[in-house]
Amino acid sequence: MTTSNAIDRSRSTEFDGLRLALLNNRMEGVVNAMMNTLQRTARSAIMNMARDFSCGILTADDDLLTVAESLPCHTFRGPDLQARYMKEWHTLRKGDAFIANSPYHGNSHAADWCILMPVIDDAGVHHFTVFAKAHVADCGNSIPTTFYATAKDVYQEGALIFPCQKIQSGYEIDGDFVRQCKLRLRVPDMWYGDFLAILGAARIGERRLLELASEVGGDQLKAFGKAWFDYSEEKMADAIRQLPSGTRKVTLMHDPIPGAPDGVPVSAEVSVDNEAGKIVIDLTDNLDCKPFGMNLTESTATSNTMAGVFSSLDQQVPPNAGSFRRLDIRLRENCMIGIPRHPFSCSAATTNLAETVGKVVTVALAQLGDGFGMAEIGKCLPPAMAVISGTDPRPGKGPFVNFLSLLVTNGAGAPRADGWLTVIGVGVAGLQMHDSVEVDEMKYPIEIRAQRIIQDSEGAGRQRGAPGALVEYGPIGTDLEIIYTSDGTHNAPKGVQGGLDGACARQVRKRADGSEEELPNVAQLTLRPGETIVSMCTGGGGYGRPEMRDVQLVAKDVSEGLVSVERARAIYKVDVDATGKVDVESTRSLRTVAA
Amino acid sequence: MVSSEVTRDLRFGVDTGGTFTDLVIEGLPEGLRFFKQPTTPDDPIRGLLDVVGFAAGKLGTDSAALLARCASFVHGTTRATNAIVEGATARTAFITTEGHRDILLIREGGGRGTPLDYTQHYPDPYIPRALSFEVPERIYADGSVARPLDEAAVLRVIEEIKAAEVEAVAVCLLWSIVNSAHELRIGELLAQHLPGVAFTLSHQLNPTMREYRRASSTAIDASLKPLMSRYIQGLDRRLRDAGFGGRLLILTSSGGVLDAAEVWDTPIHTIGSGPAAAPVAGRHYAALDAKSGNAIVTDAGGTTYDVGLIKNGVIPWTRETTVDRAGQLHMTGFPSVDVRSIGSGGGSIGWVDKGGMLHVGPQSAGASPGPACWGRGGERATVTDACVTLGYIDPDYFLGGAMSLYPDLARSVIDKDVGSPLGLPLDEAADAIFLLACERMVTAIEDLTLNQGIDARDAVMIGGGGGAGLYSFAIARRLGVSRVIIPEVSAALSAAGALLSDLTRDFSSTAVLSTRDFDFALAHRVIADLNQRCQAFIDGAGQGTVEQEILYSVEARYANQVWEIDVPLLSQSFDGADWVKAFKASFDKAHDDLFAVSDPDSDVEIISWHAKVRCSLPRRPFQSGTGSGPVRAARTRSAYFTGFGRVQADVRAYESVAVGETVAGPVIVESPITTVVVPPDGTLTRLPTGSLVVELTLSTPSTH
Repeated sequence: MTTSNAIDRSRSTEFDGLRLALLNNRMEGVVNAMMNTLQRTARSAIMNMARDFSCGILTADDDLLTVAESLPCHTFRGPDLQARYMKEWHTLRKGDAFIANSPYHGNSHAADWCILMPVIDDAGVHHFTVFAKAHVADCGNSIPTTFYATAKDVYQEGALIFPCQKIQSGYEIDGDFVRQCKLRLRVPDMWYGDFLAILGAARIGERRLLELASEVGGDQLKAFGKAWFDYSEEKMADAIRQLPSGTRKVTLMHDPIPGAPDGVPVSAEVSVDNEAGKIVIDLTDNLDCKPFGMNLTESTATSNTMAGVFSSLDQQVPPNAGSFRRLDIRLRENCMIGIPRHPFSCSAATTNLAETVGKVVTVALAQLGDGFGMAEIGKCLPPAMAVISGTDPRPGKGPFVNFLSLLVTNGAGAPRADGWLTVIGVGVAGLQMHDSVEVDEMKYPIEIRAQRIIQDSEGAGRQRGAPGALVEYGPIGTDLEIIYTSDGTHNAPKGVQGGLDGACARQVRKRADGSEEELPNVAQLTLRPGETIVSMCTGGGGYGRPEMRDVQLVAKDVSEGLVSVERARAIYKVDVDATGKVDVESTRSLRTVAA
Repeated sequence: MVSSEVTRDLRFGVDTGGTFTDLVIEGLPEGLRFFKQPTTPDDPIRGLLDVVGFAAGKLGTDSAALLARCASFVHGTTRATNAIVEGATARTAFITTEGHRDILLIREGGGRGTPLDYTQHYPDPYIPRALSFEVPERIYADGSVARPLDEAAVLRVIEEIKAAEVEAVAVCLLWSIVNSAHELRIGELLAQHLPGVAFTLSHQLNPTMREYRRASSTAIDASLKPLMSRYIQGLDRRLRDAGFGGRLLILTSSGGVLDAAEVWDTPIHTIGSGPAAAPVAGRHYAALDAKSGNAIVTDAGGTTYDVGLIKNGVIPWTRETTVDRAGQLHMTGFPSVDVRSIGSGGGSIGWVDKGGMLHVGPQSAGASPGPACWGRGGERATVTDACVTLGYIDPDYFLGGAMSLYPDLARSVIDKDVGSPLGLPLDEAADAIFLLACERMVTAIEDLTLNQGIDARDAVMIGGGGGAGLYSFAIARRLGVSRVIIPEVSAALSAAGALLSDLTRDFSSTAVLSTRDFDFALAHRVIADLNQRCQAFIDGAGQGTVEQEILYSVEARYANQVWEIDVPLLSQSFDGADWVKAFKASFDKAHDDLFAVSDPDSDVEIISWHAKVRCSLPRRPFQSGTGSGPVRAARTRSAYFTGFGRVQADVRAYESVAVGETVAGPVIVESPITTVVVPPDGTLTRLPTGSLVVELTLSTPSTH
């Protein structure tokens, strides 16, 4: 074990502020190279268009070191747990690679495939473990979706589950593994391309880290890890010292779903101790695991909670095992928002309740004082992000399945900025791209009829939430199967500090004869040619009282058609015409009355 | 015309940059000459005429006589880029397919540089929603018309646009790239009902798939039309009034040139055209001085550091170039030379955060107050202060002695801001700032080499810009590059590139073909159409050029991939299974080069087809110019180098290094416009072309 002496020495002489910066830059460069490879070589739209993947570096001791611009929900906690199983179950050699996707062994959910690769030099020294993790288009579930919300257990879910299996030895791919997957995964050629892309990304990381280790020396890299963790921990402590001390317990409701007809409450007790520079988040007062696919995993319960904290800080802190030392997240076994018990299903563990727990944290921190936390980010996942499947009738095409990623907005008001329009969720942090209409229409037999902002749907506030978005699509010349599990139809995203809630979600089936059918927030349906589904996502919650919003910003929202003249007057207390011209006197008196 | 008596024996390359307007003249008996004068932002054409007048003075003649000898005047300008930054573009409307008004607002998603930072503001659309209009119509991916164009609705939109006093219109309909009928009809209606209002149709400007990118380039182009046609027409007129009778050519973002009249019709071509010319010059010198087809071309200006690449003799391109409008970035979506720019000039500030980590930038001392050593009130430690402290910059010979520097001020801020917090002695603190600044430039270079699948160790580095010689040795060493070339024209690399650029046009077409059941007849038709358009260009603009060439390429991908890669189409015979096999092999190789993986069992889909037509302009080889002015005597100066500490470095005047002479480091070569630093373990040689070559000893042996 390290003595405090060694830490001091590494700080003052072995690791000055220059080398810390230089080596951190090199580490991020390695992760960027991995991300670049994955994005540009993957086959499925969910990976290469929507960018639903992450890469990172763990120390040889399984601590998260560098994630660059990876999705928080994939990375903050999970790969570290998986690397521990890798070491426990296998003797590691240079050229090995492992697949790990078990929700009971540290993974996020079964559709996120994590490839772990130990970085071992010719002398057999294990320097790091790299990982590349991506949401595959299909994971072998019994129905064509990667989010099987109503699966009563892992058997009904049906996903291929790998606790941590070796798939490459001496840089050679295990053919048995590939043959097995090709029989159990839909659209196997696409899967194989995706698999090569994930593997290739990890391999690029391994190669570059080996070069770096030979250039600067393994001991230097090890010392860097230690210094970087200390530095990040101090940054985190400093950021927490800016927050007010206090404890808030917040509960947010997720919409009803089969198995939970009254909805699902998600709670957290958040305690900030600014003197100690520490935050304790207790998630143990939540329901036990239930026989549905919404149970969280240890990875997502923790990662999204952490993402909620990092999103609420006033300064940027590098997320890694060092800064995580300042967070004490308490989970319990067999808890829906905690550690799942086999065989409960966690098929949708990255989205619905995971998002909710992250938002509970931002709302709780906002309750501690104006200037902190964030309003509630809008809800996921509306039919604009459904899993679609069917058979493409066009020549040369055939069966298809994919997770659509059309426009979802959701950004919440924050202390210093309006909701980021395309943030989607806490755990994806606005990193995910949405599909190009033209690319989707070329790849699948569908028409995307509309993709536009919904007026007056924002959570009003001093900093307003993002307005919601309407997306309408349907099949061309074939049937289209759609599966989605959404939230926000019954529970609106909450405003904070006097900010208002965002608009609720809706989903509607439009029939060929023009009639409309309101759809529930969880559905599996088949659209016939001529039919479409209309998906309306929530608006993000607002931060601060709307009548405190800068008048010119209200005027701009009106002239841009995001907010109506009537709403500007009624809610924001601004008298403005449709072109954005403000009646200053009238506005002053409206606002005086409101105050 | 009197001017017909005069021999037009000169060619001018003029690059109007942010700070200086550079002029390079080729064809004078004394070789290549280059001149620099301040840019005049209120009227950039004045600055351009100023530099011509300045050159005429130096050459003992007058502007009219000098311009009369000019056969071709090649101009690169930041005018369009500046207009966008300043929001001085035309009031522009956007017309698109019903249901998709928000294409420019919603973009492609993502775009969060720092994911967990919720203080960032979402960018405004390039054209406001208030000026974005939908028209009922729909074309499908296969080109079929799902809903016909509602012309009455178009006319109503046109009335609204008229009422909104719009100066330009951008039209981008879904799938216009496979069936342009609706866009063309809207174009006819605009021409008829809004005479005098400029418009751009997306399928004509940039026939590429992905509606945001196409819409964005269309919007940007339309918004520039009124301004840029005025500018270029004004330039043409004022040059001719001043005595010019030759051909006015404008640099384009694809690293070529086009006739002025063509550019005022498609002004998006000029965005980033100056920086795009630097790799053209870089390619020339890499081939000439190092016989290399792989180069990293850097251009270190006062406030930016631009990087471009040469891969196998080809300058890579991208559609992901961005323009800055009031601090918000918009993707142009338009094919252009892949040049990355980072704001990391000499003014970048070094500082230590609370946790004890050193940073350089993003804050900059800029031109005011500038670095501390300028003595104009700067109180922060900048990269220039570090270079003065390290002995790389002579405080008495900055800009040839035009400006005195105060090294004591530099030393004291470095000690205070960096030395004390890090516990480092002065030299090490200055070196820390210098090394971290170089590391940031390395990051920009690695982003580029990574995207293009190039191993930097296989490349030479071409250093351009006034700061090139200061940083190059450290950057090159860090990248594992052993050879740096500093061309004689390094301080005006883009202007020199202008003189090396050819008349170039790209034509493209979208037609999806798979190797699984390759439609040979369709491929023949696509190529025949592209060939015809190229021939028309050769017969028109290409008149009087010495050599013409058409290069075909495709953007293709494995089945189900979404991002295409660019693959040259070596044969256009399309004559059966052998062709398909050869094409697939070339695709697999290109994919493997870029990503280190290939999947030979997979089908390949071609999405779009490109023809680049190049007509070479008559030109002579560059001839090294003789220096002017008195040569400073050789001296020595104390300088600090990582790993060596303080050493006495020889200081030589640029002109004093004879052709063929090799000088061992540590040596610093100075001219009024540039400084080249060679570390103790490097050497410097002057080549017959006038270039300086710095050879470095690499501490880590290359693995190649």
